[in-house]
Order: sequence, then C-alpha cells, then structure tokens
Amino acid sequence: MRRLVWAAALVVGAAPALAAQGSTEELLVQAHQFYERLEVERALPLLRQIVSPNWPFEVSADQRVDAYKYLGACLALAGKRDSSMLYFRAAIERDPFTELDPSLFTPAQLATFDEARRRTLAVAVRPVQPARVDPRTTRVTFTVVATHAALVNVKLSAIGVGSPLVLFQGTMDGVREIAWDGLLANRRLAPPGRYTLAIVGRSRVTGAADSARVYFDLRHEVAALEDTLPDLDQRSLLPERVSPEAARRDVVKGVGVAAAALLIARAANGDLGGSERGAADVVAATAAITGVVAFLADRRHGAIPENIAANARHRAQRDSVNAALRARNADRIAATVLLVAPAAGEGVER
Amino acid sequence: MRAARLVAGAILGGVACANAQRALTVEPLVSLAEHRVDAGFGVERSFGPIIGGVGTLRLGPGLAVDVRALGGSLFGANGVLDRDLGELGVEGSVAAGRWLSLQVGAARRAYGTKLGRQTWTTVDVGAAARVPFAGGAIRGVGRAALLPVVSVSGLPDPGMAFRAAAGLEYRLRAATLGLEYSLERYDFPIDQGVRRLEQLATLTVLLRLRLR
Repeated sequence: MRRLVWAAALVVGAAPALAAQGSTEELLVQAHQFYERLEVERALPLLRQIVSPNWPFEVSADQRVDAYKYLGACLALAGKRDSSMLYFRAAIERDPFTELDPSLFTPAQLATFDEARRRTLAVAVRPVQPARVDPRTTRVTFTVVATHAALVNVKLSAIGVGSPLVLFQGTMDGVREIAWDGLLANRRLAPPGRYTLAIVGRSRVTGAADSARVYFDLRHEVAALEDTLPDLDQRSLLPERVSPEAARRDVVKGVGVAAAALLIARAANGDLGGSERGAADVVAATAAITGVVAFLADRRHGAIPENIAANARHRAQRDSVNAALRARNADRIAATVLLVAPAAGEGVER
Repeated sequence: MRAARLVAGAILGGVACANAQRALTVEPLVSLAEHRVDAGFGVERSFGPIIGGVGTLRLGPGLAVDVRALGGSLFGANGVLDRDLGELGVEGSVAAGRWLSLQVGAARRAYGTKLGRQTWTTVDVGAAARVPFAGGAIRGVGRAALLPVVSVSGLPDPGMAFRAAAGLEYRLRAATLGLEYSLERYDFPIDQGVRRLEQLATLTVLLRLRLR
C-alpha cells in the first residue's frame, strides 16, 4: 500500500514535467484552450515556454508567430498594453501577414495590434504557389504586404539575366495582390529559368525600411515545334551553269550524233545505190554545228535557264513550306503555358 | 492525196479525243522521203514529201503512248511509178533511265500505185536515247529498232528488218523543234534467185507542242 502511494505521488509530481516535454503543437493547443476559457494566467506560462530560448523542442515559424500573437492578446486582456504591443510587434516582424480576426479578439486587442503594426514596418511576399498559367487568359498572382503605409517597390527579375521588371511602385498599406502577365519589359514571354520577386518598402510613418524576396522557377509548357527544312545545298539543286567539262562533252555529243547519222546511211545504202546520202549529211552537219555552237555558247555564258527556273521553284517551295511551318510554330509558342514552382534561392553557382 | 486527207483527219480526231487527258503533246511533221527498192530489176527510186503528226499521251512518269499518222506521195524517177503512202501506227515507251527509253510499236502502212495497193503490217521493238546538250536545251536523239514481225501483202516476210534514226531536238520555250534522219531497211529472202531489198529513208522536221 505504501508503495502504491509513493507511485501515485511520483506520477502526480512528474505530470507538469511531462506536459512541458509535450510537443510544441500540443502546448499551443492547450494555451489556446486556456485563452478561450479566459484563463489567461494559465495560458501565459505555456506561451512563454514556447518562445523561450530554452524550449527544447522545435518551433516552426508559424508556431512562434502564433505564440507571440496569443501572448500579445493575453497581455492585452490583462491590461498590460506595452508588453502586449511588444509581443504583437514580434509577431508582425516575423510574419507581416499576421492578422487578428475581429470576430475572435476584443476591440482593445485589435487597437493594440493596429498600434503595433503602425510602429513596425515590415514588408513581405507570400511564397509562390505552384501554378500552371496560360498567359493569354490568366495571370501569375503574387501577394505582398506592408504592415502600414509605405512607399513600396516590387520588382521581378531573372537571376543573373537582364534588368528587373517593376511590377508595382507606389504607396500601399496592408495586403495587395499583384498580377503578372508573364511578359518581361521587352514585351516578350519570360524565358524559362529562376526568378526572384523582391519587395522594398520605406515607411511613410517612421521612415524605417524593410525588404523581402522570394524565388520561383518558371518553365514553359509548349507543344513540340517542327524543324524547318534545311538550306538547299549544291547537291539538292540543279547546276545553273554549264561546266567547262560539260561544254567539251557537247562537242563530242554533236559529233556522235553526226557519226550515227552517217553510219546509218552508209550501212543501209551500200547495196541500194549508195551515192544518195543527202538527208543523213544534213543531219550530220547540223549535229556537228550544234555541238560546236553549244560548246561556244557554254563557254561564253553557260547559263541553264531551265535549271535556274527549277531551282527558283524549288527554293520558293521550300520557303513556302518553311513559312507555313514557322506560322504553326508561332501558334504553338503563342499557346505556351507557364509552369510556376517555388524555389529556395538563387540556385547552385556554376 | 486522198491518203493525206485521211491522215490529217486521223490526227485531228486523235488530238481532240486525247485533249481531255493530262499531258498531251502533238507533233506535226514534214518529211522528205526516199523509197528504194531492188526487186532484181535494178534500184527503183521514188522521192517525195510526207506530212503527218504524232500525238503523245504521257500516262505517268516515263510512260507514254503515241499515235502517229502519216501520208504523202512519192514520185518515181526514170519511169518508176508514182506511189501514195499512208501509215497509221501506235507505240508505247517506258523510261529505262534518265536518257534511255524502251519502245514497242505496231504500224500499218499502205503503198498505192495506179496498178495496185500493197499493205505492210509491222511490229517493232527497240530503244531510244536522248542525250542532253547545252544544259538540256538541245538533245541528241538516237533510235534503233528491230522489226520482228513484218507482213507484206503479195510478198514473203522479210528475213531481216530494222529501223534506225539519229537527230536533234531543240527546245524552244514550250515547243520542241526536231530534225531527224531515219532509215528502214527490209531484206527479203531470195526467191527464184532474186533477193528483194527495200528501204525507206526520211529526213523529218517536226515541231512538238505541248497542249496540256
């Protein structure tokens, strides 16, 4: 029995330690529950544990911001406005998108939070979400924020390439969505690669400055393009001039035709009164003269009009095919879809 | 003369029918023909003009069919009888290379004199070569054909018959002007100690026109 009592006492004594060793999420849930039951005194130590440097467990950025926000809210309820504002500012600095839901928090808490925002300049860009964007019909949307009125400059630039594109320049206060049509300053579609969206703000209230940036990868999704027909080389074109060798061959051909005519006449006419050979002589003389004239003409200018015309037709046909092909490719490129994905930084140095 | 009229009618009729086809050429031609025959009484010569034409229908790349019709009068020398000549023929050709084509054809020819009429039926098998000159503007033409079937009314079939030709074709824009020397030779078998030899040589000028 004594052993059982000791064991029970040990369990009860160790309970707070076990709670402290619970995960950050469990502790946050517990603090929320205390806060909602207005047990601020019980919520505060839990929240302070989470933001303490001695808290042994991992605390995500969102959890830390949430803890600071509820610390500020608890302290505002407790009437400790300065401390409340301190924690609210810590939340805002870590996440400028932090908001208080007016339906869940009191006017005093909201007023303190607004004052914290007014005293703290922070600008931020919401991380880029993976998206598939057809630039003809939709836009890539970036969400930026300035915690209070500030002169803000939002620039988009390809890493290491070209000059940045200014997406927004002016005064803003709060959250703003900025749409990008996928084009760069030269009005051409942004090429694939890694991009950064940078926001720089200067407070119009305090003069303080802040900046932030996000990275994202851009890829093109485009239908396969067709290759244009290659340039016409000498082998695919007809010769446009008669070569010197061909000119010499023309003489041989002319003599060959002449010889053929004479041979035919001689072979057949021999036993039928072979003196008559006039017709063959006419053809033979014409062929020989034609060969010589063709040789001289070839040597003088040698252009082959038929081949020149055929080559011109061939070139025109090729140009026509290529023009149609380029038009089809242009249509496909015009239908390029942008694939956006978040990235961690500027990429690996090469 | 009647034969010439018949020939002209045949050509015009053929052209009109074939005009509806894809690639059609027509070649009006004029020939000076010399006919020689030695039937054991010495060489008889007759000489005269022949007119006619050839209609060629290209059925596809390298494949063509042509129909020819010729007619004219040959005037005998030294007491030889004058004779009229008329011929209808058909020939098919298929390309066997860039410049060579194989040909097969058949023809029916008639010689008419005031004494009678003699008809010839021939089948020829041969080849034609067209060798380009001057970048293709001119072509040298050579033809050779054997006539394995020759049937002549009133005579035995010749033992040997051939046709050979050589000439030139000049391309003039869409037309082609041709000049050709052609010779047909028929050696008949010896009959009662006499060997009949006969040949027809022509010098032809033609103009090939592409209709469509």
